[in-house]
Amino acid sequence: MKLSAEEAFHTYADRMFCAAFSVCRNKMDADDAVQDALIKYHSLRLDYEDENHLKAWLLRVVINRAKDISSSFWRRNKVPWEDYMSELEFEAPEDSRLFEAVMGLPDKYRTVIHLFYYEEYSVREIADILRCREGTVKSQLSRGRTLLKTKLKEDWNDDE
Amino acid sequence: MTNKERYQRAFSTLHASEDFLMEVTPMKRTGKVRKNRIVALCAAIALIAVLATAAYAADVGGIQRTVQLWVHGDQTDAVMVVEEDGCYKVTYEDENGDTMEMGGGGIAIDENGVERPLTEEEILEHLNEPQVEYKDDGTAWVYCQNQKLEITDKFDDDGVCYVQVKNGGKTLYLTIQYQEGYSMSPHGFEKP
Repeated sequence: MKLSAEEAFHTYADRMFCAAFSVCRNKMDADDAVQDALIKYHSLRLDYEDENHLKAWLLRVVINRAKDISSSFWRRNKVPWEDYMSELEFEAPEDSRLFEAVMGLPDKYRTVIHLFYYEEYSVREIADILRCREGTVKSQLSRGRTLLKTKLKEDWNDDE
Repeated sequence: MTNKERYQRAFSTLHASEDFLMEVTPMKRTGKVRKNRIVALCAAIALIAVLATAAYAADVGGIQRTVQLWVHGDQTDAVMVVEEDGCYKVTYEDENGDTMEMGGGGIAIDENGVERPLTEEEILEHLNEPQVEYKDDGTAWVYCQNQKLEITDKFDDDGVCYVQVKNGGKTLYLTIQYQEGYSMSPHGFEKP
């Protein structure tokens, strides 16, 4: 399957942005990562088996870009995520607390947590996207959940 | 409500910037927009093309390489220094004997989105690409190595000009929108 750059933007940009933001915690950097990933998508003209394949590829690329941007020597955008958070309109107060708790997690847990809870990927799928071992994903997921439970208490279930 | 539902609701408030859509069209035209950010910054002064004869020499800051540039269609000796992070500096004398210096550098992104410094070959490739220049007298020119082509009167009613140039052994097809950028492809003219 193949979408135009515009179609890919309309279909996937928001979830790519969410994934990138969970990595770099900065709006401008996340936007840059989305843009770079979509440019890469457009320029490579790869064949994708189906929608899931394309989505997983875009998420992998945007996450890698966000990691690179976050660690780049040329990183320019240093607005704290707390500033951006103040601009967001959450549906409920607990959403704001959850967002804050996730942003407060160590870097290595946020991406795994995001792919599991937002994208609803399995451990195996996350390992495939992040090119790491399933054991690593399980361990990071478990530690991330524990930290979220500690922070959010009754606002976070033990349902997984 | 499950944790997944809570999480999805909390993060659904995030949205990518719509400004990107304004860059989609130029992206499609060039196919190389922001291949590296910093190289793009020096594009305005990079009216050069490089022939690749190279003599390596030790240098304090990086690998110093003697190259031959095409500046406005004239071949010129220059010194290029490439740092480990992919940044480069090129120094040459212009037609008036003044020393000109320009620099750039940047990153490339592989198929998995991983960033890496540009290699010397990629920098040379970038410098070797055709350039479009709009002069103060209102004329527009395409430069590609020793080729100089005035395209001032070649633009159609939509402000688009199609130019074919030889770059080494390759034929390149340029689609140029007046003062708004240009695309380049070895396969054929891109639609504006």
